[in-house]
Amino acid sequence: MGFLNVPMGFLKVTDVVAGYTAADEILKGLDFALDAGEIVCVIGPNGAGKSTLLKTIAGLITPSRGAITFKDHSLVGLPPRDITRLGVAYVPQEHNVFPSMSVTENLEIGGYIAPARVPERMGEVLARFPVLAGKRRHAARTLSGGERQILAMAMALMVEPELLLLDEPSAGLAPAAAERLFEEVRAVNRDRVAIVLVEQNASEALAVADRAYILVDGRTSRSGEARALASDPEIRRIFLGG
Amino acid sequence: MVTEILQLLLNGAMAGTILAVPAIGLTVIFAVLRFANFAVASHATIGAFAGYVANVSFGLPVLPAIVVAFLVAGLVGLATDELILKPFRAAGFITTAIGSIALTIGLENVVRFAFGNDLRGYDLPLMRDWRFAGLRVGPQQVENLAIALAAMAAIFAFLAFTRAGKAMRAVADNPTLAGIKGINDKTIARTVSFVGMGLAGLGGMLLGLDTTIDPLTGFRAILSIFAAAVVGGLGSVPGAVVGALVIGIGEEMSLVILSPNYRSAVGFLAILAVLTIRPRGILGQRAY
Repeated sequence: MGFLNVPMGFLKVTDVVAGYTAADEILKGLDFALDAGEIVCVIGPNGAGKSTLLKTIAGLITPSRGAITFKDHSLVGLPPRDITRLGVAYVPQEHNVFPSMSVTENLEIGGYIAPARVPERMGEVLARFPVLAGKRRHAARTLSGGERQILAMAMALMVEPELLLLDEPSAGLAPAAAERLFEEVRAVNRDRVAIVLVEQNASEALAVADRAYILVDGRTSRSGEARALASDPEIRRIFLGG
Repeated sequence: MVTEILQLLLNGAMAGTILAVPAIGLTVIFAVLRFANFAVASHATIGAFAGYVANVSFGLPVLPAIVVAFLVAGLVGLATDELILKPFRAAGFITTAIGSIALTIGLENVVRFAFGNDLRGYDLPLMRDWRFAGLRVGPQQVENLAIALAAMAAIFAFLAFTRAGKAMRAVADNPTLAGIKGINDKTIARTVSFVGMGLAGLGGMLLGLDTTIDPLTGFRAILSIFAAAVVGGLGSVPGAVVGALVIGIGEEMSLVILSPNYRSAVGFLAILAVLTIRPRGILGQRAY
Protein backbone atom coordinates (compact mmCIF):
# COMPACT_ATOMS: atom_id res chain seq x y z
CA MET A 1 0.00 0.00 0.00
CA GLY A 2 1.14 3.51 -0.73
CA PHE A 3 0.48 6.89 0.79
CA LEU A 4 -3.01 7.29 2.38
CA ASN A 5 -3.76 3.57 1.85
CA VAL A 6 -3.86 3.99 -1.93
CA PRO A 7 -2.10 1.08 -3.68
CA MET A 8 0.70 2.29 -5.90
CA GLY A 9 2.40 1.19 -9.04
CA PHE A 10 0.55 -1.94 -10.18
CA LEU A 11 -2.72 -0.80 -11.78
CA LYS A 12 -3.68 2.80 -11.45
CA VAL A 13 -6.65 4.53 -13.08
CA THR A 14 -6.62 8.29 -12.58
CA ASP A 15 -9.40 10.74 -13.39
CA VAL A 16 -10.63 8.66 -16.34
CA VAL A 17 -13.47 9.92 -18.51
CA ALA A 18 -14.68 7.34 -21.05
CA GLY A 19 -17.72 6.12 -22.94
CA TYR A 20 -18.76 4.31 -26.08
CA THR A 21 -18.73 7.49 -28.21
CA ALA A 22 -16.84 10.77 -27.92
CA ALA A 23 -19.92 12.52 -26.53
CA ASP A 24 -20.82 9.67 -24.20
CA GLU A 25 -19.41 9.93 -20.66
CA ILE A 26 -20.07 6.79 -18.68
CA LEU A 27 -16.95 7.07 -16.52
CA LYS A 28 -16.86 10.65 -15.24
CA GLY A 29 -13.46 11.14 -13.70
CA LEU A 30 -12.96 7.73 -12.12
CA ASP A 31 -10.05 6.89 -9.83
CA PHE A 32 -9.19 3.27 -9.16
CA ALA A 33 -6.11 1.39 -8.02
CA LEU A 34 -5.05 -2.17 -7.37
CA ASP A 35 -1.96 -3.77 -5.84
CA ALA A 36 -0.18 -6.89 -7.07
CA GLY A 37 -1.91 -10.07 -5.87
CA GLU A 38 -5.11 -8.37 -4.69
CA ILE A 39 -8.69 -9.20 -5.50
CA VAL A 40 -10.66 -6.00 -5.83
CA CYS A 41 -14.34 -6.16 -6.59
CA VAL A 42 -16.34 -3.42 -8.26
CA ILE A 43 -20.03 -3.28 -7.45
CA GLY A 44 -22.75 -0.77 -8.15
CA PRO A 45 -26.11 -0.29 -9.82
CA ASN A 46 -26.72 -0.98 -13.52
CA GLY A 47 -25.22 1.75 -15.69
CA ALA A 48 -22.71 2.83 -13.04
CA GLY A 49 -19.81 2.11 -15.41
CA LYS A 50 -18.47 -1.17 -13.95
CA SER A 51 -18.11 -3.00 -17.27
CA THR A 52 -16.98 0.20 -18.99
CA LEU A 53 -14.14 0.44 -16.47
CA LEU A 54 -12.88 -3.04 -17.42
CA LYS A 55 -13.27 -2.39 -21.16
CA THR A 56 -11.32 0.84 -20.80
CA ILE A 57 -8.48 -0.87 -18.93
CA ALA A 58 -8.48 -3.68 -21.54
CA GLY A 59 -8.17 -1.20 -24.41
CA LEU A 60 -11.59 -1.76 -25.98
CA ILE A 61 -12.57 1.82 -25.10
CA THR A 62 -10.13 4.72 -25.32
CA PRO A 63 -10.65 7.27 -22.56
CA SER A 64 -11.13 10.88 -23.59
CA ARG A 65 -9.34 12.03 -20.44
CA GLY A 66 -7.23 10.59 -17.66
CA ALA A 67 -4.44 8.07 -17.23
CA ILE A 68 -4.28 4.29 -16.87
CA THR A 69 -0.96 2.71 -15.95
CA PHE A 70 -0.03 -0.92 -15.38
CA LYS A 71 3.39 -1.44 -13.78
CA ASP A 72 4.28 2.07 -14.94
CA HIS A 73 3.31 1.37 -18.57
CA SER A 74 0.59 3.67 -19.90
CA LEU A 75 -2.27 1.59 -21.33
CA VAL A 76 -4.11 4.52 -22.93
CA GLY A 77 -4.25 4.16 -26.71
CA LEU A 78 -2.75 0.65 -26.78
CA PRO A 79 -4.69 -1.97 -28.76
CA PRO A 80 -6.14 -4.82 -26.66
CA ARG A 81 -3.55 -7.35 -27.89
CA ASP A 82 -0.66 -5.15 -26.67
CA ILE A 83 -2.36 -4.79 -23.29
CA THR A 84 -2.70 -8.59 -23.14
CA ARG A 85 1.03 -8.87 -23.93
CA LEU A 86 1.81 -6.65 -20.93
CA GLY A 87 0.11 -9.20 -18.65
CA VAL A 88 -3.46 -7.93 -18.41
CA ALA A 89 -6.08 -10.52 -19.42
CA TYR A 90 -9.70 -9.49 -19.88
CA VAL A 91 -12.64 -11.89 -19.70
CA PRO A 92 -15.83 -10.31 -21.11
CA GLN A 93 -19.19 -11.02 -19.51
CA GLU A 94 -20.72 -12.51 -22.66
CA HIS A 95 -19.39 -13.94 -25.90
CA ASN A 96 -16.20 -14.84 -24.06
CA VAL A 97 -15.43 -18.13 -25.83
CA PHE A 98 -15.29 -19.25 -29.46
CA PRO A 99 -18.45 -21.38 -29.62
CA SER A 100 -17.71 -23.50 -32.69
CA MET A 101 -14.16 -24.34 -31.55
CA SER A 102 -13.24 -27.13 -29.16
CA VAL A 103 -12.09 -26.54 -25.58
CA THR A 104 -8.50 -27.29 -26.64
CA GLU A 105 -8.70 -24.91 -29.59
CA ASN A 106 -10.15 -22.20 -27.37
CA LEU A 107 -7.21 -22.60 -25.02
CA GLU A 108 -4.77 -22.48 -27.96
CA ILE A 109 -6.29 -19.19 -29.09
CA GLY A 110 -6.16 -18.03 -25.46
CA GLY A 111 -2.38 -18.47 -25.67
CA TYR A 112 -2.11 -17.05 -29.19
CA ILE A 113 0.40 -14.34 -28.27
CA ALA A 114 2.78 -16.89 -26.69
CA PRO A 115 2.62 -19.92 -29.00
CA ALA A 116 5.83 -21.52 -27.73
CA ARG A 117 4.35 -21.79 -24.23
CA VAL A 118 0.98 -23.19 -25.34
CA PRO A 119 1.68 -26.96 -24.94
CA GLU A 120 3.06 -26.54 -21.42
CA ARG A 121 0.41 -24.05 -20.33
CA MET A 122 -2.34 -26.21 -21.81
CA GLY A 123 -1.29 -29.05 -19.48
CA GLU A 124 -1.14 -26.75 -16.46
CA VAL A 125 -4.47 -25.09 -17.18
CA LEU A 126 -6.26 -28.40 -17.82
CA ALA A 127 -4.79 -29.76 -14.58
CA ARG A 128 -6.19 -26.73 -12.74
CA PHE A 129 -9.64 -27.11 -14.31
CA PRO A 130 -10.42 -30.86 -14.50
CA VAL A 131 -13.95 -30.09 -15.71
CA LEU A 132 -12.37 -28.82 -18.93
CA ALA A 133 -9.88 -31.68 -19.19
CA GLY A 134 -12.79 -34.12 -19.44
CA LYS A 135 -14.33 -32.14 -22.28
CA ARG A 136 -11.28 -31.04 -24.21
CA ARG A 137 -12.69 -32.17 -27.58
CA HIS A 138 -16.16 -30.74 -26.99
CA ALA A 139 -17.21 -27.60 -28.87
CA ALA A 140 -17.47 -24.66 -26.47
CA ARG A 141 -21.11 -24.13 -27.44
CA THR A 142 -21.98 -27.49 -25.88
CA LEU A 143 -20.65 -26.55 -22.41
CA SER A 144 -22.91 -25.45 -19.56
CA GLY A 145 -22.93 -21.79 -18.55
CA GLY A 146 -20.60 -22.42 -15.62
CA GLU A 147 -18.20 -24.50 -17.69
CA ARG A 148 -18.15 -21.81 -20.34
CA GLN A 149 -17.20 -19.16 -17.75
CA ILE A 150 -14.44 -21.43 -16.46
CA LEU A 151 -13.22 -21.94 -20.04
CA ALA A 152 -13.20 -18.17 -20.55
CA MET A 153 -11.10 -17.75 -17.40
CA ALA A 154 -8.82 -20.64 -18.42
CA MET A 155 -8.25 -19.02 -21.83
CA ALA A 156 -7.19 -15.83 -20.09
CA LEU A 157 -4.77 -17.78 -17.86
CA MET A 158 -3.04 -19.30 -20.90
CA VAL A 159 -0.87 -16.17 -21.16
CA GLU A 160 0.11 -16.28 -17.44
CA PRO A 161 -1.34 -12.83 -16.71
CA GLU A 162 -0.45 -10.82 -13.65
CA LEU A 163 -3.83 -9.13 -13.72
CA LEU A 164 -7.17 -10.71 -14.59
CA LEU A 165 -10.20 -8.54 -15.39
CA LEU A 166 -13.41 -10.54 -14.83
CA ASP A 167 -16.67 -8.99 -15.98
CA GLU A 168 -19.63 -10.47 -14.10
CA PRO A 169 -18.46 -14.09 -14.34
CA SER A 170 -21.42 -15.37 -12.28
CA ALA A 171 -24.10 -13.67 -14.41
CA GLY A 172 -26.78 -16.16 -15.39
CA LEU A 173 -25.30 -19.04 -13.38
CA ALA A 174 -27.19 -21.21 -10.91
CA PRO A 175 -26.09 -20.56 -7.28
CA ALA A 176 -24.10 -23.82 -7.08
CA ALA A 177 -22.27 -23.06 -10.34
CA ALA A 178 -21.60 -19.49 -9.19
CA GLU A 179 -20.18 -20.81 -5.90
CA ARG A 180 -17.82 -23.16 -7.79
CA LEU A 181 -16.77 -20.29 -10.01
CA PHE A 182 -15.90 -18.06 -7.04
CA GLU A 183 -13.86 -20.93 -5.59
CA GLU A 184 -11.91 -21.01 -8.85
CA VAL A 185 -11.42 -17.24 -8.66
CA ARG A 186 -9.92 -17.64 -5.17
CA ALA A 187 -7.69 -20.48 -6.39
CA VAL A 188 -6.40 -18.41 -9.31
CA ASN A 189 -5.66 -15.54 -6.97
CA ARG A 190 -3.63 -17.83 -4.69
CA ASP A 191 -1.16 -18.04 -7.61
CA ARG A 192 -0.54 -14.31 -7.14
CA VAL A 193 -2.75 -13.27 -10.04
CA ALA A 194 -4.37 -9.95 -9.17
CA ILE A 195 -8.07 -9.80 -10.05
CA VAL A 196 -10.52 -7.01 -10.73
CA LEU A 197 -13.94 -8.58 -10.30
CA VAL A 198 -17.00 -6.73 -11.55
CA GLU A 199 -20.10 -8.33 -10.09
CA GLN A 200 -23.83 -7.91 -9.62
CA ASN A 201 -23.67 -10.60 -6.97
CA ALA A 202 -22.40 -8.16 -4.33
CA SER A 203 -22.41 -10.50 -1.31
CA GLU A 204 -20.28 -13.16 -3.07
CA ALA A 205 -17.98 -10.53 -4.55
CA LEU A 206 -17.39 -8.85 -1.19
CA ALA A 207 -16.77 -12.26 0.39
CA VAL A 208 -14.08 -13.08 -2.19
CA ALA A 209 -12.41 -9.67 -2.47
CA ASP A 210 -9.71 -7.98 -0.39
CA ARG A 211 -10.98 -4.53 -1.22
CA ALA A 212 -14.01 -3.11 -3.02
CA TYR A 213 -15.08 -0.08 -4.97
CA ILE A 214 -18.68 1.01 -5.19
CA LEU A 215 -19.39 2.87 -8.40
CA VAL A 216 -22.34 5.20 -8.83
CA ASP A 217 -22.90 7.19 -12.02
CA GLY A 218 -19.37 6.77 -13.32
CA ARG A 219 -17.58 7.77 -10.14
CA THR A 220 -16.30 6.01 -7.04
CA SER A 221 -18.93 6.40 -4.36
CA ARG A 222 -17.19 4.33 -1.68
CA SER A 223 -14.07 2.20 -1.46
CA GLY A 224 -12.26 0.26 1.23
CA GLU A 225 -11.69 -3.14 2.77
CA ALA A 226 -14.28 -5.57 1.41
CA ARG A 227 -15.04 -6.98 4.86
CA ALA A 228 -15.70 -3.50 6.28
CA LEU A 229 -17.94 -2.54 3.38
CA ALA A 230 -19.85 -5.82 3.67
CA SER A 231 -20.73 -4.98 7.27
CA ASP A 232 -21.62 -1.35 6.55
CA PRO A 233 -25.37 -0.93 7.22
CA GLU A 234 -25.93 1.35 4.21
CA ILE A 235 -24.11 -0.99 1.84
CA ARG A 236 -25.99 -3.94 3.29
CA ARG A 237 -29.30 -2.16 2.75
CA ILE A 238 -28.60 -1.11 -0.85
CA PHE A 239 -26.60 -4.02 -2.23
CA LEU A 240 -27.02 -6.98 0.08
CA GLY A 241 -30.75 -6.93 0.65
CA GLY A 242 -30.69 -5.86 4.27
CA MET B 1 -34.57 -44.58 -67.17
CA VAL B 2 -32.81 -45.77 -64.02
CA THR B 3 -29.44 -45.63 -65.79
CA GLU B 4 -30.24 -42.14 -67.05
CA ILE B 5 -31.07 -40.94 -63.54
CA LEU B 6 -27.95 -42.59 -62.13
CA GLN B 7 -25.90 -40.86 -64.84
CA LEU B 8 -27.45 -37.50 -63.90
CA LEU B 9 -26.76 -38.18 -60.22
CA LEU B 10 -23.13 -39.01 -61.00
CA ASN B 11 -22.73 -35.91 -63.18
CA GLY B 12 -24.41 -33.79 -60.53
CA ALA B 13 -22.20 -35.12 -57.73
CA MET B 14 -19.08 -34.37 -59.78
CA ALA B 15 -20.34 -30.92 -60.81
CA GLY B 16 -21.28 -30.21 -57.18
CA THR B 17 -17.84 -31.23 -55.91
CA ILE B 18 -16.19 -28.80 -58.33
CA LEU B 19 -18.73 -26.08 -57.48
CA ALA B 20 -17.86 -26.56 -53.80
CA VAL B 21 -14.37 -25.14 -54.32
CA PRO B 22 -15.36 -21.55 -55.26
CA ALA B 23 -18.35 -21.81 -52.89
CA ILE B 24 -15.90 -22.46 -50.02
CA GLY B 25 -13.97 -19.39 -51.22
CA LEU B 26 -17.11 -17.25 -51.04
CA THR B 27 -18.15 -18.63 -47.67
CA VAL B 28 -14.77 -18.25 -45.90
CA ILE B 29 -14.61 -14.63 -47.02
CA PHE B 30 -18.15 -14.10 -45.71
CA ALA B 31 -17.33 -15.85 -42.41
CA VAL B 32 -14.42 -13.52 -41.66
CA LEU B 33 -15.19 -10.26 -43.47
CA ARG B 34 -18.99 -10.47 -43.15
CA PHE B 35 -19.99 -9.55 -46.68
CA ALA B 36 -20.91 -11.56 -49.77
CA ASN B 37 -17.99 -10.94 -52.10
CA PHE B 38 -19.45 -11.31 -55.59
CA ALA B 39 -15.99 -10.62 -57.04
CA VAL B 40 -15.54 -14.39 -56.59
CA ALA B 41 -16.97 -14.47 -60.15
CA SER B 42 -14.19 -12.42 -61.74
CA HIS B 43 -11.53 -14.18 -59.68
CA ALA B 44 -12.82 -17.52 -60.96
CA THR B 45 -12.38 -16.11 -64.47
CA ILE B 46 -8.90 -14.78 -63.64
CA GLY B 47 -7.91 -18.19 -62.26
CA ALA B 48 -9.29 -19.90 -65.35
CA PHE B 49 -7.23 -17.60 -67.62
CA ALA B 50 -4.10 -17.79 -65.47
CA GLY B 51 -4.33 -21.58 -65.67
CA TYR B 52 -4.93 -21.28 -69.42
CA VAL B 53 -1.76 -19.20 -69.89
CA ALA B 54 0.23 -21.67 -67.77
CA ASN B 55 -1.22 -24.67 -69.58
CA VAL B 56 -1.44 -23.48 -73.20
CA SER B 57 1.18 -20.73 -73.46
CA PHE B 58 3.80 -22.26 -71.17
CA GLY B 59 2.90 -25.89 -71.73
CA LEU B 60 2.47 -26.82 -68.07
CA PRO B 61 0.40 -29.90 -67.25
CA VAL B 62 -2.95 -29.45 -65.53
CA LEU B 63 -1.73 -29.91 -61.94
CA PRO B 64 0.95 -27.17 -61.95
CA ALA B 65 -1.40 -24.95 -63.99
CA ILE B 66 -4.04 -25.36 -61.26
CA VAL B 67 -1.48 -24.16 -58.71
CA VAL B 68 -0.81 -21.11 -60.92
CA ALA B 69 -4.59 -20.48 -61.13
CA PHE B 70 -4.82 -20.56 -57.31
CA LEU B 71 -1.81 -18.30 -56.75
CA VAL B 72 -2.68 -15.68 -59.39
CA ALA B 73 -6.34 -15.43 -58.34
CA GLY B 74 -5.28 -15.34 -54.68
CA LEU B 75 -2.78 -12.55 -55.25
CA VAL B 76 -5.26 -10.54 -57.34
CA GLY B 77 -7.86 -11.13 -54.59
CA LEU B 78 -5.43 -9.89 -51.95
CA ALA B 79 -4.63 -6.77 -53.99
CA THR B 80 -8.22 -5.94 -54.94
CA ASP B 81 -9.46 -6.39 -51.37
CA GLU B 82 -6.68 -4.23 -49.99
CA LEU B 83 -6.96 -1.48 -52.59
CA ILE B 84 -10.62 -1.48 -53.63
CA LEU B 85 -12.96 -3.30 -51.22
CA LYS B 86 -11.35 -2.45 -47.87
CA PRO B 87 -12.33 1.24 -48.04
CA PHE B 88 -15.96 0.17 -48.63
CA ARG B 89 -16.12 -1.92 -45.46
CA ALA B 90 -16.62 1.07 -43.14
CA ALA B 91 -19.82 1.86 -45.08
CA GLY B 92 -21.36 -1.52 -44.23
CA PHE B 93 -21.75 -4.96 -45.73
CA ILE B 94 -24.37 -4.04 -48.35
CA THR B 95 -22.22 -1.24 -49.77
CA THR B 96 -19.21 -3.56 -49.81
CA ALA B 97 -21.17 -6.32 -51.54
CA ILE B 98 -22.35 -3.83 -54.19
CA GLY B 99 -18.76 -2.62 -54.52
CA SER B 100 -17.73 -6.24 -55.15
CA ILE B 101 -20.25 -6.45 -58.04
CA ALA B 102 -18.70 -3.32 -59.58
CA LEU B 103 -15.25 -4.83 -59.04
CA THR B 104 -16.20 -8.09 -60.71
CA ILE B 105 -17.54 -6.27 -63.80
CA GLY B 106 -14.34 -4.20 -63.97
CA LEU B 107 -12.04 -7.22 -63.66
CA GLU B 108 -13.99 -9.21 -66.26
CA ASN B 109 -13.51 -6.35 -68.69
CA VAL B 110 -9.79 -6.31 -67.95
CA VAL B 111 -9.73 -10.02 -68.89
CA ARG B 112 -11.80 -9.27 -72.02
CA PHE B 113 -9.37 -6.49 -72.99
CA ALA B 114 -6.41 -8.81 -72.58
CA PHE B 115 -7.82 -12.01 -74.12
CA GLY B 116 -10.85 -11.00 -76.20
CA ASN B 117 -14.25 -12.69 -76.18
CA ASP B 118 -13.26 -15.95 -77.88
CA LEU B 119 -13.97 -19.28 -76.26
CA ARG B 120 -10.73 -21.00 -75.30
CA GLY B 121 -9.97 -24.56 -74.32
CA TYR B 122 -7.15 -26.06 -72.29
CA ASP B 123 -4.52 -28.23 -73.89
CA LEU B 124 -5.77 -31.60 -72.72
CA PRO B 125 -5.02 -35.05 -74.11
CA LEU B 126 -7.97 -36.65 -75.88
CA MET B 127 -9.14 -39.67 -73.92
CA ARG B 128 -12.00 -42.07 -74.34
CA ASP B 129 -14.74 -42.00 -71.63
CA TRP B 130 -14.77 -44.85 -69.18
CA ARG B 131 -17.92 -46.95 -69.04
CA PHE B 132 -19.20 -49.08 -66.20
CA ALA B 133 -22.67 -50.47 -65.43
CA GLY B 134 -24.07 -48.46 -68.30
CA LEU B 135 -22.66 -45.18 -66.87
CA ARG B 136 -20.16 -42.95 -68.62
CA VAL B 137 -17.41 -40.82 -67.04
CA GLY B 138 -14.51 -38.94 -68.61
CA PRO B 139 -10.97 -39.40 -67.22
CA GLN B 140 -10.62 -35.59 -67.12
CA GLN B 141 -13.82 -35.38 -65.03
CA VAL B 142 -12.32 -37.87 -62.58
CA GLU B 143 -9.08 -35.87 -62.43
CA ASN B 144 -11.08 -32.67 -61.82
CA LEU B 145 -13.01 -34.44 -59.08
CA ALA B 146 -9.76 -35.59 -57.47
CA ILE B 147 -8.31 -32.07 -57.63
CA ALA B 148 -11.48 -30.60 -56.10
CA LEU B 149 -11.44 -33.18 -53.31
CA ALA B 150 -7.73 -32.55 -52.66
CA ALA B 151 -8.35 -28.78 -52.54
CA MET B 152 -11.19 -29.30 -50.07
CA ALA B 153 -9.10 -31.63 -47.92
CA ALA B 154 -6.31 -29.04 -47.93
CA ILE B 155 -8.62 -26.21 -46.85
CA PHE B 156 -10.16 -28.38 -44.11
CA ALA B 157 -6.67 -29.33 -42.88
CA PHE B 158 -5.60 -25.68 -43.01
CA LEU B 159 -8.59 -24.62 -40.90
CA ALA B 160 -8.32 -27.54 -38.47
CA PHE B 161 -4.59 -27.85 -37.88
CA THR B 162 -2.73 -24.63 -38.65
CA ARG B 163 -2.31 -21.61 -36.42
CA ALA B 164 -3.49 -19.27 -39.21
CA GLY B 165 -6.52 -21.48 -39.93
CA LYS B 166 -7.56 -21.59 -36.28
CA ALA B 167 -7.06 -17.83 -35.99
CA MET B 168 -9.29 -17.41 -39.05
CA ARG B 169 -12.02 -19.53 -37.42
CA ALA B 170 -11.65 -17.57 -34.19
CA VAL B 171 -12.18 -14.27 -36.04
CA ALA B 172 -15.19 -15.80 -37.84
CA ASP B 173 -16.63 -16.90 -34.48
CA ASN B 174 -15.99 -13.78 -32.42
CA PRO B 175 -13.88 -10.98 -33.93
CA THR B 176 -13.79 -8.83 -30.77
CA LEU B 177 -12.58 -11.68 -28.56
CA ALA B 178 -10.07 -12.71 -31.24
CA GLY B 179 -8.61 -9.19 -31.11
CA ILE B 180 -8.36 -9.33 -27.31
CA LYS B 181 -6.49 -12.63 -27.60
CA GLY B 182 -3.92 -11.00 -29.86
CA ILE B 183 -5.08 -12.04 -33.33
CA ASN B 184 -4.38 -9.32 -35.87
CA ASP B 185 -7.62 -8.87 -37.82
CA LYS B 186 -5.81 -7.17 -40.71
CA THR B 187 -3.52 -10.16 -41.22
CA ILE B 188 -6.50 -12.51 -41.08
CA ALA B 189 -8.42 -10.36 -43.59
CA ARG B 190 -5.47 -10.58 -45.99
CA THR B 191 -5.09 -14.32 -45.47
CA VAL B 192 -8.79 -14.98 -46.08
CA SER B 193 -8.82 -12.78 -49.20
CA PHE B 194 -5.86 -14.70 -50.61
CA VAL B 195 -7.19 -18.16 -49.74
CA GLY B 196 -10.82 -17.40 -50.66
CA MET B 197 -10.04 -15.86 -54.04
CA GLY B 198 -7.37 -18.50 -54.67
CA LEU B 199 -10.08 -21.14 -54.26
CA ALA B 200 -12.34 -19.14 -56.59
CA GLY B 201 -9.55 -19.14 -59.19
CA LEU B 202 -8.92 -22.84 -58.74
CA GLY B 203 -12.64 -23.49 -59.09
CA GLY B 204 -12.76 -21.31 -62.22
CA MET B 205 -10.10 -23.43 -63.87
CA LEU B 206 -11.86 -26.65 -62.84
CA LEU B 207 -15.08 -25.36 -64.42
CA GLY B 208 -13.11 -24.47 -67.56
CA LEU B 209 -11.42 -27.87 -67.76
CA ASP B 210 -14.85 -29.42 -68.14
CA THR B 211 -15.91 -27.11 -70.99
CA THR B 212 -14.26 -23.92 -72.31
CA ILE B 213 -13.41 -20.54 -70.85
CA ASP B 214 -14.23 -16.96 -71.79
CA PRO B 215 -14.42 -13.68 -69.82
CA LEU B 216 -17.89 -14.62 -68.50
CA THR B 217 -16.84 -18.03 -67.11
CA GLY B 218 -17.11 -16.83 -63.51
CA PHE B 219 -20.15 -14.64 -64.10
CA ARG B 220 -22.16 -17.60 -65.43
CA ALA B 221 -21.23 -19.69 -62.40
CA ILE B 222 -21.76 -17.07 -59.68
CA LEU B 223 -25.46 -17.80 -59.17
CA SER B 224 -24.74 -21.48 -58.57
CA ILE B 225 -21.75 -20.61 -56.34
CA PHE B 226 -23.79 -18.13 -54.32
CA ALA B 227 -26.73 -20.55 -54.10
CA ALA B 228 -24.41 -23.33 -52.87
CA ALA B 229 -22.98 -21.11 -50.12
CA VAL B 230 -26.41 -19.78 -49.05
CA VAL B 231 -28.18 -23.15 -49.16
CA GLY B 232 -25.43 -24.77 -47.05
CA GLY B 233 -25.34 -21.83 -44.61
CA LEU B 234 -23.41 -18.71 -45.64
CA GLY B 235 -20.23 -18.69 -43.55
CA SER B 236 -20.07 -22.47 -43.06
CA VAL B 237 -17.33 -24.38 -44.93
CA PRO B 238 -18.96 -27.83 -44.61
CA GLY B 239 -22.22 -26.08 -45.50
CA ALA B 240 -20.71 -24.85 -48.77
CA VAL B 241 -19.80 -28.44 -49.66
CA VAL B 242 -23.28 -29.73 -48.82
CA GLY B 243 -24.90 -26.79 -50.61
CA ALA B 244 -22.74 -27.31 -53.70
CA LEU B 245 -23.77 -30.97 -53.86
CA VAL B 246 -27.44 -29.98 -53.51
CA ILE B 247 -27.12 -27.42 -56.31
CA GLY B 248 -24.95 -29.63 -58.54
CA ILE B 249 -27.24 -32.64 -58.26
CA GLY B 250 -30.37 -30.44 -58.40
CA GLU B 251 -29.23 -28.75 -61.61
CA GLU B 252 -28.51 -32.10 -63.27
CA MET B 253 -31.69 -33.77 -62.02
CA SER B 254 -33.77 -30.84 -63.29
CA LEU B 255 -32.90 -32.07 -66.78
CA VAL B 256 -35.28 -35.01 -66.23
CA ILE B 257 -38.26 -32.68 -66.33
CA LEU B 258 -36.97 -29.34 -67.63
CA SER B 259 -35.18 -28.02 -70.67
CA PRO B 260 -31.48 -27.18 -70.03
CA ASN B 261 -32.45 -23.51 -70.50
CA TYR B 262 -34.13 -23.59 -67.08
CA ARG B 263 -31.19 -25.18 -65.32
CA SER B 264 -30.04 -21.91 -63.71
CA ALA B 265 -33.46 -21.55 -62.04
CA VAL B 266 -32.52 -24.47 -59.77
CA GLY B 267 -30.19 -22.22 -57.74
CA PHE B 268 -32.96 -19.70 -57.10
CA LEU B 269 -35.48 -22.40 -56.25
CA ALA B 270 -33.02 -24.10 -53.90
CA ILE B 271 -32.36 -20.81 -52.08
CA LEU B 272 -36.11 -20.19 -51.75
CA ALA B 273 -36.91 -23.73 -50.64
CA VAL B 274 -34.09 -24.19 -48.12
CA LEU B 275 -34.26 -20.74 -46.60
CA THR B 276 -38.02 -21.01 -46.12
CA ILE B 277 -37.48 -24.12 -44.00
CA ARG B 278 -34.05 -23.29 -42.52
CA PRO B 279 -33.32 -19.53 -42.69
CA ARG B 280 -29.67 -20.09 -41.72
CA GLY B 281 -29.09 -22.75 -44.38
CA ILE B 282 -28.70 -26.50 -44.05
CA LEU B 283 -25.71 -26.44 -41.66
CA GLY B 284 -26.20 -23.01 -40.11
CA GLN B 285 -23.50 -20.35 -40.11
CA ARG B 286 -20.65 -21.90 -38.17
CA ALA B 287 -17.38 -21.33 -39.95
CA TYR B 288 -16.21 -24.89 -39.56
